[in-house]
Amino acid sequence: MSIQNSILQATDLSLGYKKGSKSNVIADHISFSLEKGKLTCLLGPNGVGKSTLIKTIMGQIPALKNQVYLDKKPTHSFSVKDLSKKIAVVLTEKINSANLTVKQVVALGRIPHTGWLGNLSMEDQQKIDTAIHSTHINYIEDRPMSELSDGQLQKVMIARALAQDGEILILDEPTAHLDLINRFEIMHLLRDIAKKEKKAVLVVTHDLDIAIDTADEFWLMQCGLPLVCGSPEDLILQSKIDLLLPNDRLHFDKSDGKVRDSAECQYPHMDGPEEMAKWVRLALRKNKISPEINSITIKTEGNQIGFYLRISTDTLKFDTIASLIDHLTTLGNNWKTREP
Amino acid sequence: MKNKPTYFLFLIGLLVCLLLFAVNLASGSVLIPIQEVIGRFIGGEFSKGSWETIVIGYRVPKAFTAILAGIGLSLSGLQMQTFFRNPLAGPYVLGVSSGAGLGVALLIMAGSAFGWSMYSGGFGIWAVVFSATLGSILVLLLMSLTAWKVKDSMTLLIVGLMFGSAVSALISVLSYFSGADQLKMFTIWSMGSLGSTQPDQLIAFLVAVLLGLVPLLVNLKSFNAMLLGEAYAESMGINVHRLRWAMIVSTGILAGSVTAFCGPIAFIGIAVPHMARLVFKTGDHRILFPASALIGAAVLLACDTISQLPGSAQTLPINAVTSLVGAPMVIWLILRRNFSKEF
Repeated sequence: MSIQNSILQATDLSLGYKKGSKSNVIADHISFSLEKGKLTCLLGPNGVGKSTLIKTIMGQIPALKNQVYLDKKPTHSFSVKDLSKKIAVVLTEKINSANLTVKQVVALGRIPHTGWLGNLSMEDQQKIDTAIHSTHINYIEDRPMSELSDGQLQKVMIARALAQDGEILILDEPTAHLDLINRFEIMHLLRDIAKKEKKAVLVVTHDLDIAIDTADEFWLMQCGLPLVCGSPEDLILQSKIDLLLPNDRLHFDKSDGKVRDSAECQYPHMDGPEEMAKWVRLALRKNKISPEINSITIKTEGNQIGFYLRISTDTLKFDTIASLIDHLTTLGNNWKTREP
Repeated sequence: MKNKPTYFLFLIGLLVCLLLFAVNLASGSVLIPIQEVIGRFIGGEFSKGSWETIVIGYRVPKAFTAILAGIGLSLSGLQMQTFFRNPLAGPYVLGVSSGAGLGVALLIMAGSAFGWSMYSGGFGIWAVVFSATLGSILVLLLMSLTAWKVKDSMTLLIVGLMFGSAVSALISVLSYFSGADQLKMFTIWSMGSLGSTQPDQLIAFLVAVLLGLVPLLVNLKSFNAMLLGEAYAESMGINVHRLRWAMIVSTGILAGSVTAFCGPIAFIGIAVPHMARLVFKTGDHRILFPASALIGAAVLLACDTISQLPGSAQTLPINAVTSLVGAPMVIWLILRRNFSKEF
C-alpha cells in the first residue's frame, strides 16, 4: 500500500444513524484507504451498510465513531462546496429531465466550479469535452436524455461525474439493470479512468465476475465483521471471498472463479474434449442426475456433436445436451443430494 | 448554452407581449382603435379626451398589474416544480393563496361586524391587501416551521397541500356563518381582479415582486443542479436546505403579493412553466426563468383581454378566464406522452 497515493482513509469507523440520544450502529470496525489510480470495488450483501458507508464518505451523515479523512483532514471540516470539488458521484437515482441534452447534463458537472450564473469558461468547456470523449459518448452529445438506453444513460452520468473533476469518483451500483455487454463496458471504462486520469474510483457492485476481472482492490463487507480489504486475487487464494457467501451451501470455486453449490458432485466418467465435457457436467449438476450407472462419450463429427450415453451394455446417441438430460431425467435417476 | 433560436424566441415573445399590451389597452367596454393606442405611446395624442382618462388612468395600471401578476405566478410555479421535481406543483400547493384567502375572509366577515366595507373608500382596498398579506405570511411561517423540521421535500409538498385544504375548510366554515352581503363580497374577491390596483399600490406590488425575485436570482445555478434531484445537487455543492428556504421565501412573496393585490388567480403558476419548456425546449433555468416571466405576462394580458369581452360592457372574472384557458392546457399536457418525464 503506497502512502502517497492514498487520498481517503479511515480507521475503526462506526457507521449508523443517530436518533436523539440513541444511535443505531449499522457497521463497525471499518478501516480502509482509498488510492488514486486504482479501481476499488465494494461488495457485500444487501442491507449490510454499503450505502451508509458511501453516505458517510460523502459527508452526508457523520460517522458514529472516528472520522473519514480526505487529504489528511476530516471530511466534515470541508464545506459542501469544497467537498464537491473533491468527490463526484454516480447514484442509483433515476434522472428524469428529458428536456436536457447529454451535453447539458455533462455540463451540470461543472456547477461547483462556475460563478453564480453558471456560465462556462474555456476551461469548463474543455473539461466537458474531455469527459464526453473519455466516456465515448460523442455520438450522442446532442440527444435529449429521454432517447437514451440505460447503458448510454449510465455513461452520461459517469461523464457528468468526470466533468466535476474531483480526485475521487464514487459509483453506487452503476451496472445494475444493464445487459452483460454494457456491464463489461462500464467496468472497463471505469478501470481506464482510474488508470489514465489517476482518479480513485470506488464502485459499489454485486457483479462479482466482472469485479474480479477489473478491480485492483476489493472491500468486502459482511454483517458484524470488519471490512476486509485486499486485491481480489489475494482474497480468493486466502478464501476470504467466501465472506460474501451467506452459508455453507454455497462456496467459491477457486479454479474458475464461480460461486457453486457446495453439494458433493460426482460425475460419470467422460471421454471427449474437456471444453465440452465441462458443459455436460454443468447440465448434470444443475439437474442433479446420478452418475453411478452411466458414462458419457462426446464425439465431434464435422459440425455435429454427438453425446453417447452408456448404461450397462446399451449405448444411446443424443444430438444435444438437452435431449440427453431429458432422457436421464425420465429414467428417474435423480442423484442423492446432501441435505443442508 | 444560449444560442440563436433562443434569442429569436425571446424577441418574438417580447413582440407578442408588446402587441398583447396594446390590444389589452385598446379593448374594453369602450373600444379604442389600436393605432390610436400605439400612436399615443409614440408621442401622439388621442383624438378623444375621454380616451386619455380611460387608457392612462385605468387600463395602463391594469395592464401592468396583469404583467406583474403573470410574472410572479409563473416564476413561483417554475421554482416549485423544479424544487419538488413534480410537474403539478404550483403556488397554490404551498397553501400561500389559501392563506391569503383566509386573511381576506376574516377581514370581510369579521370586519362587517364593525361596519367596514370593501367599498368604503381607498382604505378598503389597502385593508384587503394587508389582510391577504398577513394570511399568506401566516401560512408561510407554518410552512417554514415544517421545512425546518422536515428534511424530505415530498413530505413538505404533502404538508403544504394539507395546509391548503385546512385553510379552505376554515374559509368554508366562515362563509357558512356569514351573511349574504359579506359572502358576495368575498366571492367577488375570490374571482380575482386586475383592475382594482391604484398607482400607489402598483408601486408596492412592483417592489414586492422585485423583492421576491432576489432569492431566485441568487440561486439561479442551484435550480439547474436540482434537475438531477436533491442527492446529485448536494453532491455538486448545492446547499439544498438553504435552497428550500430561498424557494419558500421567494414563492411566498411572489404568490402572496399577487393574491393580495389581485385575488386568487389559478393555473398561471402551473401551466406557464410547462409552456416555457415546450416553446423553448430546454431545462436550463437561465433560459426558463426569463421565458416563464415573458410567457406568464403575455398569457395574463391575453386572459385579461378575453375577460373584457371586447365590444361588450360586461367583464368576466379573471380567475374564471385563467381556469378556462388553463385547465384544458394542463389536461392537454398530461395527455401528452412523457409528460411527467419532460420537465
